[in-house]
Amino acid sequence: MSARTRPWLRVLLPVLAAAALALGAVAATAAPGRPSAARAPRAAGAVGHASVPACNPDASSLRPSGPPQVTSGSFMATIRKRGYLIAGVDQNTYHFGFRNPFDGQIEGFDIDMIKAVAQAIFGNPDKVVYKAIPDSLREKDVETGAVDIVAHTMTITCDRLKDVDFSSVYFDAVQRVLVLKNSKATSLDDLRGQKVCATSGSDDLASIKAHGAIGVPVAYWTDCLVLLQQGDVAAISTDDAILAGLEAQDPWTTIVGPAISSQPYGLAISKQHLDFVSFVNAVLEQVRTDGQWKASYAHWIGHPVPAPPQAQYAD
Amino acid sequence: MTSSVGVSPAPVTRAPTVQRAGPLSRLDTATTPRKLGLLLVGLVVLSLAWGVLAALTAEQHASAAANVVAVSEPLSLDAEQIYQSLSDAEATAATAFLSGGLEPAADLQRYNADIAQAAIRIEEASALLGSSAARAQLPGHLNKQAATAGSSTGADLATLSAGLPVYADEVGTARADNRLGYPLGAAYLREASTLLRGTLLTAASDIYTKESGLLTSASAQATGLPLIVITGVIGLGLGYLLYRSSRWLTRRTHRRVNYGLLVAGVAFAVSLVWLAGAFAFGRAELLHAQQRGSAPAEASARADVAALQAHADESLTLIDNSGVYSYQQDFVVQQKLLGPGPGTLLAAVQASAGNGSAASDAQAWYRAHAAVRALDDGGNHTAAVQSALYGQAAATFARLSADLTDGINAHQAVFASDARDGRDAFTGLAVGMIVASLIMAAGCTWGLNRRRAEYR
Repeated sequence: MSARTRPWLRVLLPVLAAAALALGAVAATAAPGRPSAARAPRAAGAVGHASVPACNPDASSLRPSGPPQVTSGSFMATIRKRGYLIAGVDQNTYHFGFRNPFDGQIEGFDIDMIKAVAQAIFGNPDKVVYKAIPDSLREKDVETGAVDIVAHTMTITCDRLKDVDFSSVYFDAVQRVLVLKNSKATSLDDLRGQKVCATSGSDDLASIKAHGAIGVPVAYWTDCLVLLQQGDVAAISTDDAILAGLEAQDPWTTIVGPAISSQPYGLAISKQHLDFVSFVNAVLEQVRTDGQWKASYAHWIGHPVPAPPQAQYAD
Repeated sequence: MTSSVGVSPAPVTRAPTVQRAGPLSRLDTATTPRKLGLLLVGLVVLSLAWGVLAALTAEQHASAAANVVAVSEPLSLDAEQIYQSLSDAEATAATAFLSGGLEPAADLQRYNADIAQAAIRIEEASALLGSSAARAQLPGHLNKQAATAGSSTGADLATLSAGLPVYADEVGTARADNRLGYPLGAAYLREASTLLRGTLLTAASDIYTKESGLLTSASAQATGLPLIVITGVIGLGLGYLLYRSSRWLTRRTHRRVNYGLLVAGVAFAVSLVWLAGAFAFGRAELLHAQQRGSAPAEASARADVAALQAHADESLTLIDNSGVYSYQQDFVVQQKLLGPGPGTLLAAVQASAGNGSAASDAQAWYRAHAAVRALDDGGNHTAAVQSALYGQAAATFARLSADLTDGINAHQAVFASDARDGRDAFTGLAVGMIVASLIMAAGCTWGLNRRRAEYR
């Protein structure tokens, strides 16, 4: 069955794609997809006229047709009938999705997005069953229908778009590097030949390798911090949003270096539920405009609060 | 009495011999005292040889029996205790972690006691292994097996003593981070559990396997047969010779009884019965110790360890229900190992220890665990944690654990007492054999010398 072979392919594809990209970057001046060391926050311009089918991670989603509505026969109606939304989330990423040990609840910026979706379906933000999943299971759980939606600091990439659909961008992150405060490294390029940690399902491992460092895959970002504290790796490289959460748990670490790549976050939804994708985009439109986004950003990430990412759609 | 032995009957006996005229008479009169002399030397040498051989046999088996009690048994017991303490520490640390920053004092005490217990046992086992004087007494091939086990056990103990502080340190960091509300705490706890299961428990179980293997071999040696058979054959030969000598003397001298040989015969019979009795009793007690003591204790210990690991899995799943570390999958694996059902650990406990309540308590716990999972998977994490910490799941596991711990303690006591009895059966045996052989030699010398004196 394809469901069995696919996970392997999904592991292999980004690696092959990254290798192809790296070769392409050497061979040609303009490579399709994400440049391996782009300083620019977005690579949107380079993607449009690529030879592969058009893929723009920032503008890949369905335009909503007005405010969110649960129409009869839609997937939202199915969820409403079930009585709760099933969300695949992180429980280890501080400030985006983590279990608060004081009350046992999972909370964070990602979780606020899910709550907004539940509010739109049920009129109640708490009608959600949270399934804590690791990075490596995000696509699979969406595809198999184990979860309705994934909010998991998940970057919209062309590879992932082959397997799942995404909402419009709800958070703009950039890949950077976290090191101990006494480290001499100031960028990923300084870490050539050294061990750099990332989660096994993340797209950061490829760019770590592309910079000549040795990628050390683990299950969770907090596992990376354990390795960094124990001196088993020299650095952690991923989205600044995640790194900020790690930095908050260890004041002897610091985020360094330029933005290595752009990491637009989207909510992952099955390709079978296009009605749900456009519904969620309608919810995100509201979240961006009614002040929820800014309030959530201020609460979890802090000040200054930037403007929410502008929604772009595939049409 | 004196008439038959003491007062010189020589003229009476000599007369018929002398009267038997002819060329043979000289030879006869010349050879009887010589024959008596040869017989005397033979009997004395054989008596002493018997004494030495019987004493050696007794000594060797006593030392093998003592080794069972003195080295292998405590070492495998230590390894088992280390395994149990570590498993209990892991389960307790996970439970305490689950209850959040304000960990229950009882959990902390239990965790600290577990770590201390493990450290003490590692220390004890190292000391025991270091003073392997008892091991040096082991006979031939066992000595080799002991040396191999000893070096591997030494390496495992080094792994344990190096790894234990690292484990405790990681749990400590996990607790500190958990207190601050950082998700990093869960990562340290996972790391600690990985270290514990991957390295420490493996080393402890390795020691247990090696040492209980040696224990079985040492028991076989202490209860085994080869040397006692040789000793027995020689003993029977000696008995036959004594009997024939006595018959020959009776014919030769027309005395019904030679009291010297009688004393030797009685001493021989006593030593033979003592030796056989000690071996029969010692063997029975050591076999008993294994069947009623160490075997059921081991069955209970294995079941207890599987239950503890499953309990740790229950807590770790609630701490980190992710699918990557698959603690719930491990719970299912442990549950299958534990049983009840044919071929499971609880079936072994039932068969050897006859403990019936463990099986029903285990099933009650599984039901409670299924309820915990249903709550957690249904999104009711808080209620699931409550059940695991203070509710039905906690109570049923506590009962199961108490069943198994009681079983271990009771059967270890049986082993200790039976093995001690088995070892005590050999007390004084070697000295007794030497004394008996000296009495035999003295008896033969006295009895035969009286006869020889009649020819002077």
